[in-house]
Amino acid sequence: MDFLFVLIVGLLVTSGAYLMMSGHLVRFLYGLALFSNAANLAIFVSGGLSYGAPALIAEGEKAPLEPVANALPQALVLTAIVIGFGLTVFALALAKRAFASEGTALMDDMRSAEPRAED
Amino acid sequence: MRFLPALLAFMATAWFWSFLPAISAGETRSWAWAWLPDQGVELALRIDGLSLLFALLITGIGTLIFLYTAAYFRNDDRLPRLLTLLMLFGISMLGLVLADDAISLFVFWEGTTVTSFLLVGFDHNRRYARASALQALIITGLGGLALLAGLIILGQFAGTYRLSEMVLMGDAIRASEIYIAATIFVLLGCFTKSAQFPFHFWLPGAMAAPTPVSAYLHSATMVKAGVYLLMRMSPALGGTEIWMWSLTICGAITMIVGSVWAMKQDDLKLMLAHTTLMGLGALVMLLGSGTKEAAKAAVLFLLVHALYKAALFLSVGILDKQAGSRMVDDLGGLRGAMPLSFAIAALAALSMAGFPPFIGFIGKEVIYESALHSAASPLLVTGSALAANIMMVACAGLVAIKPYFGERRAQKNPGDPVFGLWFGPAVLAALGLWFGLFPAALGHDLLEPALGAVTGKAAEVKLYLWHGVNLPFLLSLLTFAAGIGLFLVIGAVRRALQAARVPGAEDGYDLGLAGIDRLSAWVTRSLQGGRMTVYLKLSFAVFAGVIWMAILMSNTELSRPDFRVPLFQFGVVVLILVSTVVVTFTPSRLIAICALGGVGSGIAMLFVMYGAIDVAMTQLLVEILVVVFFAIALLQLPRTPISLGFRPFDMALSVALGLGVIVTLWAVLGTELNLYLTEYFEKYSAPKALGRNIVNVILVDFRALDTLGEVSVVLIAAIAAVAVMRAGREARK
Amino acid sequence: MLVAFPILTALGTAVFCFLMRDQRQGQMLASLGGALIQVALAVALLWTVTTSGPLSAQMGGWPAPFGITLVADTLSALLVLSTAIVLLCVVIFSLSEIEREQERLGYQALVHALVAGVMGAFLTGDIFNLYVWFEVLLISSFGLLVIGGGKAQLDGAVKYVGLNLIATLAFLTGVGLLYGATGTLNMADLNQAVSGRMTETAILASAGFLLFAYGAKSALFPVYFWLPASYHTPAAATSALFAALLTKVGVYSILRVFTLVFETDGTPLAPVLIVAGAITAVVGVLGAVTHREIRRILSYNIISSIGLLIMAIGIDTPLAITAAIFYLVHNMLVKAALFLHAGLVLKIKGSEEFDKVGGIYEQAPWIAVLFLVPALSLAGIPPLSGFWGKFLILRATIDLPSLALTVLVLVVSLLTIYSVARIWLEIFWKSDERGEGCAPAPALMVAPIVLLTILTVGIGLYPDLLYSWSDSAAAGIADPSTYISAVMEDPS
Repeated sequence: MDFLFVLIVGLLVTSGAYLMMSGHLVRFLYGLALFSNAANLAIFVSGGLSYGAPALIAEGEKAPLEPVANALPQALVLTAIVIGFGLTVFALALAKRAFASEGTALMDDMRSAEPRAED
Repeated sequence: MRFLPALLAFMATAWFWSFLPAISAGETRSWAWAWLPDQGVELALRIDGLSLLFALLITGIGTLIFLYTAAYFRNDDRLPRLLTLLMLFGISMLGLVLADDAISLFVFWEGTTVTSFLLVGFDHNRRYARASALQALIITGLGGLALLAGLIILGQFAGTYRLSEMVLMGDAIRASEIYIAATIFVLLGCFTKSAQFPFHFWLPGAMAAPTPVSAYLHSATMVKAGVYLLMRMSPALGGTEIWMWSLTICGAITMIVGSVWAMKQDDLKLMLAHTTLMGLGALVMLLGSGTKEAAKAAVLFLLVHALYKAALFLSVGILDKQAGSRMVDDLGGLRGAMPLSFAIAALAALSMAGFPPFIGFIGKEVIYESALHSAASPLLVTGSALAANIMMVACAGLVAIKPYFGERRAQKNPGDPVFGLWFGPAVLAALGLWFGLFPAALGHDLLEPALGAVTGKAAEVKLYLWHGVNLPFLLSLLTFAAGIGLFLVIGAVRRALQAARVPGAEDGYDLGLAGIDRLSAWVTRSLQGGRMTVYLKLSFAVFAGVIWMAILMSNTELSRPDFRVPLFQFGVVVLILVSTVVVTFTPSRLIAICALGGVGSGIAMLFVMYGAIDVAMTQLLVEILVVVFFAIALLQLPRTPISLGFRPFDMALSVALGLGVIVTLWAVLGTELNLYLTEYFEKYSAPKALGRNIVNVILVDFRALDTLGEVSVVLIAAIAAVAVMRAGREARK
Repeated sequence: MLVAFPILTALGTAVFCFLMRDQRQGQMLASLGGALIQVALAVALLWTVTTSGPLSAQMGGWPAPFGITLVADTLSALLVLSTAIVLLCVVIFSLSEIEREQERLGYQALVHALVAGVMGAFLTGDIFNLYVWFEVLLISSFGLLVIGGGKAQLDGAVKYVGLNLIATLAFLTGVGLLYGATGTLNMADLNQAVSGRMTETAILASAGFLLFAYGAKSALFPVYFWLPASYHTPAAATSALFAALLTKVGVYSILRVFTLVFETDGTPLAPVLIVAGAITAVVGVLGAVTHREIRRILSYNIISSIGLLIMAIGIDTPLAITAAIFYLVHNMLVKAALFLHAGLVLKIKGSEEFDKVGGIYEQAPWIAVLFLVPALSLAGIPPLSGFWGKFLILRATIDLPSLALTVLVLVVSLLTIYSVARIWLEIFWKSDERGEGCAPAPALMVAPIVLLTILTVGIGLYPDLLYSWSDSAAAGIADPSTYISAVMEDPS
């Protein structure tokens, strides 16, 4: 299964990059979402996979009795997901406003900050 | 108030004068303060014969020029600004010649460059003045940077930045590997500063400065800084073939080019600027000769040139002020109206032409004598000195005879100027005569210690007005005869020269600058063309490139992948893969957003299966919110066609990146995971942090700082999102 | 706990400012007060660190490497102080520049939030925590970039956000991979965990992810596009803050992570840094000589100086690192001064373009001088701080076997002189062809520029203090053992 996880990450990165390079604002955002998922998954996989057991300690015990999933990467992924959410919301809002003010969703046609040279 | 600078300069002159007895007795004075001690940089000052000679020139001529300036600009409200800059320049120049620490010297060197820039551009409303200032800055800035590198290299080798110690290590320096590089860098600095071919052209351009500035900076002092440093470094760097020939050849070319071009100028000031090139070229050429006689000639000529050239510049300034023009053809017959001015110009010009009994005569004799014994090529050196001197005679005539004799011509009603304007040049011109008549004291008190510093050993300077009839004297006679002859036909010569159009080094500068402008515009436009897709492609290419480079340059050991997987999980994997492909290729926004949700929830399911319940819940929640936001944001937008053409290059790049990630991740999974952090968390979660959900304990306790940051991000994102929704309003108006 | 205070103060001030966003006076006072406290804290921190060695604090009382450690060595403390000074200047300037409307949207809060991210990045000893602070400063910079903005700002923001998010995700992935390969996140602990493993794909490729991320953050060739696309668009106070801090956090991360965590000696990393730095320096300065608008020129000057910095880091001799740190601090102060000055020109002339502005030297000579001094410092003219930076970098290149980098530094310096001289010629010397005169310069705008100018002159005249700090910071980089023991051994 490990390798399938790795393949998924690879595919998400590939699709994400391809979408971002399309130059279309909306597709860029799709790509970003995929890329973001890929990163989270990569952290999760790097922390080692163990099927089943959540990282919980039973009532009355001092430590988990059986081997449980590695808790640290989970905590990291949680943090990353929430941060990613914040960034995505902003990016969406920005995309919407940029589209409204530039009148196009094609990033190459957004030239207010860097106008075309006169030549 | 406006005479304060002159007063200060006079006091400084007197102060330096007070060192004369001690210095001419062979002593030195030095002061040092630590500046950057770890790097061995000090603010070290030292007075020896050479620096004293320069210091006296700087302060002495400075006194007269400041006085002149105060009179010249007496009705101009820019006078305070001008005097301030001139004073700053004077201080820098003094520091330059007094510095014993190479880095201190450079600091003052750049000080003169900057003040010169500001002074050349003094009439900043004129485009020409601005362009000239920029030109001077770039050329001398280039040299300054090279000089810094050269001085650091020398300092590294010598283990000290003290010039007085470096010059004692000449043999070791000349024998070392760094010699060539250091010499080239130092010579670049000296040649640009002292306007040697092929960098000479900035000096005539610098004549855009007000006349007193030109007289002070671009004739008497600053342009001699390069010569000063050549003199100073002679014991350390001189005496080799490369030194000898580059100085001799560049000096000779500068001398000839300056002299020839001087004759064709209409503007007397520009003519003087070109004769200054002649003077600087002569000095450099002499220093290349490498003999003691040549060094003696150089030291003497330095003083001679400063005296007559400053006087002539100032007297051209007087013409400009009193007669309303400084063009050769606008002026004539003024000696009756301006007798005093004529007398000054005549005295200075006679010294320039080298007639006895002026000090210029002695200077010329000494030059001829040393040229005949040049270590480089007596024929070349003597020949070019002779040619240049002949042309100097003609130019002296143009400056001192043309405006004052013949038919009376002037742009306004001429008359002799006020005291402040004539006093300075008069003193300088008179000194030329005085030293000519009584050269012995000058030689012994001032030049001997200076020469000692240049040659690195004690020297004797005996100057006489009358040497007897020898070869130099005969050459002098030849100079006078040919020079006067040239002056008689100067009109024809000038017309011929003006008709000639010879490409000069200045065209090289213009081409170079235009080239840099074009190159930079091209590079910048190619890279930063404003097209986001280009930026993205390049970024991803670099990303993929960096990863692949790391993979290829490391020892990659990959285990065999294992594809066995329970059917249920396989279904989730397929869901994610298919959804991803759909997002990538569907033209429909709605389907894309749904598929995006599919990817997210598939991943959430994987999280569940592998024991990450909290992560999965968060992922799902976030995924739902994101899909909703996507839907709100995107569906509000008017429909625009999404072009879906397949982009093979982008796809190749994406695949390369994806494969890189796969290989890296697989390599990471191939290493054994060290779990000691997790073991610690498992051990202490319940007893110490009082939590049973280890993930939550990590978030709120072990790594609470991350969570603080995370919460901050979300809150700031809210503020930022509100800000962005309010932005871009002007577009609607 | 002194180590945590800069971060907490910044976050606290941000909250205060946000709560008081509708009360102009209150917000101004809170923001200014926060900035002053930061300066005081930073001075105390630097003083403590230089007198008694690196300072660390284990957050939540969990020992390293299990909890998150905050740690200040000389390098961190020095950068914290520079950040605090820049913050103070920018806040003062913004009080005059930023409009009511933007203040109400939380401008001051975003400024302090950004600084919280910067401080956190400089002070954290944990690489995942570093990622979190990067995000804090990134999202704050997004907000600042678009706040109250028009079309150009939005367009600039699209490019800035897009490219930075990619870098951020690379960072996140890299951290995950590094954890997978080593099992730890604490940078001092990583030092031992990575030791001797630089030839492993898992380690070197994680380093590649991080290098790409930090390179993009630092605006290194060829991933700097976001910077010239956006830095000239927002308010001058904002771009000054960005210019002084953002890329420098990237440079700091390279300096820290690629010495403490990864060994660059004998790996392909050192030549990569040198080559990328050298190209960046040249490309940057070429951009600076071609534009005709103050902040666009300065933006490219940032890229160029980043190039020199990264090159020096790649050279990686003790002197080169000292030079890089000295140059870094100098550059933060001077870039802030110049960007603020661009805002001042914008204020008194209504534009910062060559074709529209002129005559300031005639109309307001002191304003012109106030530009000239930091500009000369940027150009490396003595006796200003930039000269010593240039001197030290030259010194470091001259120790190398080849003079190629020396010549490169010389060429870049010359073109830098040219680029600022062009501004001087066109904006200050050229006569005011439109004859519109000069609006009066607000004291709140002039004061911070004066302060920064005094600093560059002061460092120039008395370089020894900053040099000795840089030297001790570089010593801490060259031999991380004191840093590591400060982290690993509980100081309580």
